[in-house]
Amino acid sequence: MQRLKYLLMILLTGPAASAAWADETLTIVSWGGVYEQAQRQAIFDPFSKATGITIENVTYSGGVDAVRNGAAQGDWDVIDMIEDQAITACDAGLLSQISFDQVAVAHQSIPVEDDFLLGAFRNCSIAQNVYSTVFAYNDRAFLGEKPESIADFFDLEKFPGTRALLRDPDVILEWALMAEGVPIDQVYDLLSTERGMRLAFRRLETLRGSIIWWETVDTPAEMLNDERAVMASGYNGRFFSAAQDDGMPITIVWDGQVISYETWSILRSSQKQELARQFVRFATAPEQLAALAELIPYGPTRTSAISRVGLHETTGVPMRDHLPNAPQYVDRALYGDSLWYARTKDFRRRRFEAWLREG
Amino acid sequence: MLEQKSNSAPIGSAAYRNFAMTVSAVVIGLIVSLAAIAFVEVVIWLNNVLLVSPRTRVQFDGAGWLLAAATILVPTIGGLIVGGLLRMSPERRPLGPLDVIKSVQLALPPPTPKAGILSTLASLISLGFGASVGQYGPLVYLGSMAGSVLDRLSLRISNFSSIAMACGVAAAISTAFNAPIAGLVFAHEVILRHYSMQAFAPTTVAAATGYIVANVMFEREALFLVDFAGVQHGHEFALFALLGLLASFIAVAFMRLILRSATLAAKMPIGPMYRPAFAGLAVGLTALWLPDVMGVGNETLRFATIEGAFFTWELALLVTAKIALTAICIGFGFAGGVFSPALLIGILFGALCWMLVDATGLVVTSSVVPYAICGMMAVTSAVIGAPLTTILIVFELTRNYDLTIAAMVAVVFSNLVAYRVFGRSLFDVQLARRGIDLSHGRDRAWLSTQRVSDILDGNFVQCAPHCAVGNVSAQLHDTKWHEAFVLDATGVLVGVLDVLGYEGDLDDPVSAWMRPPALQFDDSTTLAEAMRALEGFAGDVIPIVETKTKRLLGVVTQATVIKSYLNAVRRLRREENATA
Repeated sequence: MQRLKYLLMILLTGPAASAAWADETLTIVSWGGVYEQAQRQAIFDPFSKATGITIENVTYSGGVDAVRNGAAQGDWDVIDMIEDQAITACDAGLLSQISFDQVAVAHQSIPVEDDFLLGAFRNCSIAQNVYSTVFAYNDRAFLGEKPESIADFFDLEKFPGTRALLRDPDVILEWALMAEGVPIDQVYDLLSTERGMRLAFRRLETLRGSIIWWETVDTPAEMLNDERAVMASGYNGRFFSAAQDDGMPITIVWDGQVISYETWSILRSSQKQELARQFVRFATAPEQLAALAELIPYGPTRTSAISRVGLHETTGVPMRDHLPNAPQYVDRALYGDSLWYARTKDFRRRRFEAWLREG
Repeated sequence: MLEQKSNSAPIGSAAYRNFAMTVSAVVIGLIVSLAAIAFVEVVIWLNNVLLVSPRTRVQFDGAGWLLAAATILVPTIGGLIVGGLLRMSPERRPLGPLDVIKSVQLALPPPTPKAGILSTLASLISLGFGASVGQYGPLVYLGSMAGSVLDRLSLRISNFSSIAMACGVAAAISTAFNAPIAGLVFAHEVILRHYSMQAFAPTTVAAATGYIVANVMFEREALFLVDFAGVQHGHEFALFALLGLLASFIAVAFMRLILRSATLAAKMPIGPMYRPAFAGLAVGLTALWLPDVMGVGNETLRFATIEGAFFTWELALLVTAKIALTAICIGFGFAGGVFSPALLIGILFGALCWMLVDATGLVVTSSVVPYAICGMMAVTSAVIGAPLTTILIVFELTRNYDLTIAAMVAVVFSNLVAYRVFGRSLFDVQLARRGIDLSHGRDRAWLSTQRVSDILDGNFVQCAPHCAVGNVSAQLHDTKWHEAFVLDATGVLVGVLDVLGYEGDLDDPVSAWMRPPALQFDDSTTLAEAMRALEGFAGDVIPIVETKTKRLLGVVTQATVIKSYLNAVRRLRREENATA
């Protein structure tokens, strides 16, 4: 009954809303680059077409401070965030509460909460896609044996050359422990101890002097392409489009990938709460999630959307094989614990900064 | 008393019994594995909520005093709750594998369900609140409890009670370790102590059921994943054997300390209810600067196989602290097992030995991994007295043949020494202290619990010292006896009169001709002692007196004692050779 009500609500309020909200604008904050282009094509433009609402884009590079500044200015409405940052921002009171009933149903027989992946709903955020942090290498850098595992990333003897890394404690410490032989299931448990931290930094230390830091998300692929680095950490979607669309000689290594959720959140400071909700409902519908995954390999968070994912629009590549949550990659994948990330950020950053200063 | 728990006579065909036993095994396997998973999950949940697990502790790193306060208060409060729970138990103490062994070996009814449930709750609290105890002991008891519940259905299958308990134990180990073969072997090696087809089949079914539930239905992760490429050098096997020898001393020290700690606790001026809290406080205070000692310590277990995770002094300190705190926790009444702590102590000790060998630079070694695993298994097998089980656990947990062979060598040497120096296992020594000695086999243990006073014959001829021999002789004439027992006015046995071949005056008082009894039992004499005493005894009947008052309770014939002995032995042999 409840589900039927929502379906009717969408059907009835959809056209009416489009009339009422015509000429309105909504400011959506996202990450720019190929990701935002894909979002424009799969979500923003169809939304404007359906509702008449104009979407204005603001690009940011993540971080809770950026959200705080955006909120202060008052013109940000909806924001695309990494889940752990969304949790921190939510705890800081920067985001509005959000719940299951604000999402469109995919099919009457599947309750919304079962359709989404486990833990997709937090107090202020809905997970929209699954991305992963992987490492990739320049095909031309290693002519014989190619890197295959996360241990190879730390192996300067076998694979000499500069590594491009995000100047941030996320992921790199997890990788360091995996390279020590810690099973993926126990990485967070061990990294939570003083001893685990010590081991991770000991491993990272072996790379000191061979690291080049990157800060914006498009850089790692460029660094590989112009041979500033032989291996680089980065997001799977960016590497994919660099290789597929721009023909860069880049190969992704899925071993040890860290899977995270990308979420939609609504700023508490937004004056257009209802309009923002309307957008989130539209953007998390199975059609839009699948359409996005056909442009850039970020896996949909809804089961009903995963089955819709087909071929890449221009290259014809079967996109389901490139999603981080494709069955062949999940065995050696670490699912990021957002809550842990959010609550240990300061602690890890402190240790990381101290390590940086040592060098 | 000899037939303490007379199983109802078996009914139906062997086919019925096989079928009923198999179905029971599946049911027990299902119940136990679900209960075991629930148990483990509750412990994990409590550990998270109560800031015991490092993964939640680190999230409160910035919260200052909160973490320190929780570290001290949580185990202390846990101790208070445990003390309260056990006070309500009819047994007044936590139950564990030794209660299962006792019940199965002596065919005694297990402690009441109330005691079992309270003990299980107490162990949940102990583990959840971070006491330094293990979870497998309570799980073994939980398993046997499910088995004994099914026994109440009276399916009228011989030996059902002990087999059902063994099934529960096998399922618990199978689920908790993801190791069905080890579960099966543990049930035989430690609990049943024989291998009959009748028991083997259902325990296998129960262990497999536990495995299916854990793996197929719940997809539980393996407990211990470790990469190991193989032992590189032949000489390392000598080191494994040496490590086994050294580990046995660690195991013996650990077990002795547990026993001593219990004695110490009894002498302390603290009521039994508050003793666990005292141990909890000790754990909390130590954990302030050595957080590895809290709880089961899965993280520490993992670190031990990583080279360079510990400094040598850290390992030595941790081995000592873990031994001491576990002994205090168990001795002072926390509810929990010794298996997980033994694993942890052993693996740290193994890693320590490797570091010392490695530091000398004299011997080349493969890596820390086989030494850590050898140490772990060598200490554990000596503590639980189950070499075969521990070897199989290594195999099933690591799925690594090389490691299993390495561990096998260490385990055997450790067991050999620990058996000589201490005893078969902690459980066996604890049972022996309660008068149940299994060190000379099941037969002796069983016979040592049977009292001759239970088979006494009250039908005998007695007389006062002043009676005439003639009168007594006439009385004896109507019976099968030729000996009469002379009692004083208070009923105390003063002598025996044998009228066979009596040639004196029939009017003489009995007191003139009586002699002290050649052999006499009291109400504490066991069947085993009686059998030994009968060697060289030529008489007819043996008087049994009350130990304190020396009053005559009755008599027992040599034939009755031997018959009881043969019955007991026959019962055990029947059980061991049963097929259905």
